[in-house]
Amino acid sequence: MKMKKYRMLGIMIWNALLRRRSRMLIALLAVAIGATIVSGLITIYYDVPRQMGREFRSYGANLVLTPAGDKQLLPAEAVSKINGILPPDKLVGMAPYLYDRVKINEQPLMLAGTDFQQVKKVSPYWQVRGQWPESPAEEIMLGAETAELLQVEPGQEVTLAASGSELGRKMKVTGIVRTGGSEENFIFTDLKVAQQLLGTQDNISVMQVSIIANEAELTAFTQAIAGATPDIVPRIVKRVAQSEETVLGKLQALVYLVTIVVLLLTMICVATTMMAVVTERRKEIGLKKALGAENRGIVLEFLGEGMTLGALGGLLGVVLGFFFAQAVSVNVFGREISFQPFIAFLSLVVSIAVTGAACLIPVKIATDVEPAIVLRGE
Amino acid sequence: MFWRMVRGALVRQGRKMFLVAVTVALGVSLATAMLNVMLDVGDKVNRELKAYGANITVTPRSASVLGEIYGLDTAPGAMGQYLQEEELGKLKTIFWANNIVDFAPSLETRVALGPAGTNAVLVGTWFNRHLSLPTGETVDTGIQQLKSWWSVDGNWADDTNVNTAMVGAILADKLGVKAGDTVEFVLPGSDKRETVTVRGIFSAGGPEDEELFVPLPLVQNLLNLPGKVAKVEVSAMTTPENELARRAAHDPKSLSLKEWETWYCTSYVSAISYQIEEVISGSRAKPVRQVAESEGNILEKTQLLMLLITVLSLAGSSLGISNLLTAGIMERSREIGLLKALGATNGAVIGLTLSEIMLTGLAGGIVGYFLGLGFAQIIGETVFGTAIALNVMVIPWVIAAVGAVILAGSLPAIRMLLSLRPAAVLHGR
Repeated sequence: MKMKKYRMLGIMIWNALLRRRSRMLIALLAVAIGATIVSGLITIYYDVPRQMGREFRSYGANLVLTPAGDKQLLPAEAVSKINGILPPDKLVGMAPYLYDRVKINEQPLMLAGTDFQQVKKVSPYWQVRGQWPESPAEEIMLGAETAELLQVEPGQEVTLAASGSELGRKMKVTGIVRTGGSEENFIFTDLKVAQQLLGTQDNISVMQVSIIANEAELTAFTQAIAGATPDIVPRIVKRVAQSEETVLGKLQALVYLVTIVVLLLTMICVATTMMAVVTERRKEIGLKKALGAENRGIVLEFLGEGMTLGALGGLLGVVLGFFFAQAVSVNVFGREISFQPFIAFLSLVVSIAVTGAACLIPVKIATDVEPAIVLRGE
Repeated sequence: MFWRMVRGALVRQGRKMFLVAVTVALGVSLATAMLNVMLDVGDKVNRELKAYGANITVTPRSASVLGEIYGLDTAPGAMGQYLQEEELGKLKTIFWANNIVDFAPSLETRVALGPAGTNAVLVGTWFNRHLSLPTGETVDTGIQQLKSWWSVDGNWADDTNVNTAMVGAILADKLGVKAGDTVEFVLPGSDKRETVTVRGIFSAGGPEDEELFVPLPLVQNLLNLPGKVAKVEVSAMTTPENELARRAAHDPKSLSLKEWETWYCTSYVSAISYQIEEVISGSRAKPVRQVAESEGNILEKTQLLMLLITVLSLAGSSLGISNLLTAGIMERSREIGLLKALGATNGAVIGLTLSEIMLTGLAGGIVGYFLGLGFAQIIGETVFGTAIALNVMVIPWVIAAVGAVILAGSLPAIRMLLSLRPAAVLHGR
């Protein structure tokens, strides 16, 4: 008996949806649009810190590994020990630097030996006039101040010599580096060349690390590194890390508030559409009551209708919303986003709940009315 | 008669028209809020990015060369050139004066600290200096605003009391001093002794942590360089650089007159640097690439993000409005059928329906506009702590957009109404 009742309910809902095709299509469209915006915006909200965090890495290193105590150099084996600590998917780059004094034309200058491929990742803000070195064994770059001092243009050759040594090494200058900072006073060579020239074996002075992490995560990394080897003192670059925290926090709050406002308005919009669609069926409700239907039954039927609509529209919206978020992400950040099942589920539940609730209000009003009055037309 | 019918419809169909008004109001408030926030977000985020510190450094034109060749920059009483402290107020008189957010001069020297004679760098600077400009305005500027990422244990030093100081965390550790203690230092090679009271210990996470900061006049007296500064750090709001700005940064003379004017009157970091060099004699202003480039990058991304969110959510809400309108008009087929049966022309029917909806929309729109302003202010206050600048440009945009949406939303329904045959409708099917 009970089974039969539910089957009847199912048939009534199905027929109501099918027979009133154009009205239901309008309602479905409204729900789908709402769900699209909901799921799309929530996805963007979750994705923004991750994507923006990557953009903020253009400020350069946020973690610097320095030698412990009074030592001047970081031994290579100590550096190799930390390899497992930093997660590779969050690591943007690690640029080693070896600093020492060298001579060009008998003038004392600072040399920085580094890995150019990593520098490009860690310090994307460098402005290079000319080119980055392609064969690092014989090509170097000069800081803008140094180049001005030496009167050297890209393409010319200079002779590098370690201080205290007469043996020179001819190198071709491929580019002039402009940063507005202290880098403009350096000569940049490949790390291997610097190590050979200065005779420091595999050691380096500092390691600049650029990693996508907030301050708490950075602190955790520094503790892990300090625990792994006593030879390294990791230091957080506070100016970069803390400012990123502040600005990123504000951006996320902005997207959060915008999301809330849009969500609120979208839900009300869906609700008003549903109300309009249901209100128009007061006559039908009156007829049902006149035929002896209980209030509970009528409410249940409309609720079922609304929730079916919500589920269908929600499903459609989740798919569209994913493309909406994808479009934003690709256009703004140039990266794709991954599908989040939890957000999809959440938007589905929200759209079912909102549609169901929006149906209930007008039905409740309609069922309170005397059938005779409704049927008579007023 | 026409207006009586319109009024009658509005009053009789109160509830339905109320729904339409609510939806239009929601759509308009969404549009108003999003557009206002979007138009102002660049400015707001730019201000937030000032947390990264100075993006322009101003140094004397010839000092860098002297320091490089002879290593004179750290020697006391070096013969290098300096900038004039009294000229700094002119920074606020350049074309882009309003974009100069903060600036602070500095003058450095090496000193021996305490009884042990610890070697450290002494920096004279402005902490929070009250400055009267030649234009009659006043500004407060200094490292307190410029170095917002410093975490200070204790208080900031006082510009008006020259014997106050702030010590970097690493140096404080070495000396064993804390806020409230006094530190004595002496200039190497002379017997000028000074005692300062430590107001606070700061942690900057950079080389400053090993330095001692005091008010500028103290260092000027110590070095016998009254009114001179060695470096000025400037934090300015800038526009992201483009091809023109890069060419200009390389050589402003390579631009044509028209290009030069465009460049000069845009707040590119290179243009602001150029204007600083014009007002501060013998100076050289260099953009700090790390800050300037990244700023532009993040600014562009944020604006694009907001633009896309705005456009897409507006598209969504306009679909919602037109949807509701379609539903609203369709259910009145019986009334329209009667009108037509009584001899109303198609034009009259359309005019009647549209004026009803437009009037309702207008009422909803006005309410929605102010609601939207409220939303925008809530967002501004919560996120950035300042009000969002209201943009009058938003009003015509919103009116045009909502008008178009209402028209577009009514079109399919109106087409359907026109094809109605009165007899069929009145019969009930």
